[in-house]
Amino acid sequence: MSEPIPGEEYKVFLPSVQKGQAPSPASRVAIDPITRIEGHLRIEVKIENGRVVDAWSSGMMFRGIELVLPGRDPRDAWVFTQRICGV
Amino acid sequence: MELWQTRFVERLDQRGVSRRRFLKFCGMMTATLALPARYTGRVAQALMEAPRPPVVWLEFQDCTGDTESFLRTKSPGVDELLLDLLSLDYHETLMAPAGEMTERSLADTMTRFPGQYICVVEGSIPTAAGGIHCMIRGRTAHSIAQEVCGNALATIAIGTCAWEGGIAAAAPNPTGAMGVKDAVPGLASLVNLPGCPANVVNLTATIVHFLTFGSWPETDGSGRPHFAYGEEIHEECERHDHYEDERFVLEWGDEGHRQGWCLFRMGCKGPETHHNCPSVRWNDGTSWPIGAGHGCIGCAEARFWDRMSPFYAALEDD
Repeated sequence: MSEPIPGEEYKVFLPSVQKGQAPSPASRVAIDPITRIEGHLRIEVKIENGRVVDAWSSGMMFRGIELVLPGRDPRDAWVFTQRICGV
Repeated sequence: MELWQTRFVERLDQRGVSRRRFLKFCGMMTATLALPARYTGRVAQALMEAPRPPVVWLEFQDCTGDTESFLRTKSPGVDELLLDLLSLDYHETLMAPAGEMTERSLADTMTRFPGQYICVVEGSIPTAAGGIHCMIRGRTAHSIAQEVCGNALATIAIGTCAWEGGIAAAAPNPTGAMGVKDAVPGLASLVNLPGCPANVVNLTATIVHFLTFGSWPETDGSGRPHFAYGEEIHEECERHDHYEDERFVLEWGDEGHRQGWCLFRMGCKGPETHHNCPSVRWNDGTSWPIGAGHGCIGCAEARFWDRMSPFYAALEDD
């Protein structure tokens, strides 16, 4: 169903890590999307011997509002930037 | 059917929604849809009998403003009735599952109800650079939209972004953002509810029409329902008399502004915008932008970020 993208081979998801049971010695856990928040967030952690040793947080959506603003009437800036987040 | 009706009424009871209030809601929906009042009974009957259609709500290049609009009504409000009428199976901002589990929720609905669920799309769909500007579970928004909208009974594009790209498509449209009608062309049943954000009253009325008559309300050439986008804001505006008598606000906070005069000279885009804001208003009918003393920015019109800005520059006189 999904198209693989680079990095997908590390896709190991939370449900496979049971409480009290150590994940494989070196693995990566990705949660994508993080729900109940505004926006598209992906969190990935690297685990070694049951400990998180590294973590990555990625915003998975880009509109480029900072590229849309230049050259416009400065009085309009609030109307544009307000749409960064509607929550 | 009898049992189902009872259960529906019971559900409303549990939420503190009396039959009287339910019928009032049906009356309000009938009026919003510009149907004769005698249709109220038919709407009520249909809502009592209609099965709850499963709904999948997809968010792409969005700000969640339409979701906020959907959720922000007074309790027990229009949205609660809506949630009783629909089965909202997938919505990333509201659902309990996260990560991989969300894919299961989506797949469940799509396999159990193929061609029978309603898909709501919020936000635009980026198409530049292979669509990498919006990725969910390692997939592009574009490929998700093609699959989920393509297998739906019907699709609702909510908000201006899902209609024609909105703010992400404002010049120079850095991500090649498009609305559903352009990113997934040829959908059999698509209705557009633009507005930045869209009004929950129009969303609800559109769904009520669908449950009552089995079809979307009649739309204009841009796929927007006539009942919501058929009238010009300027003609329906509560300040229209001031315009006719040339009583204009000339400066923020001047005497005319305090008196609620016409905002045309302050850049109001009401004369070029078609939306039912003046009658349905916002926050349970409390007020609306012009009522609060700010000009209309034309948010329900195509390319409004480019065509209606600068927002404080007055339109040419007729």
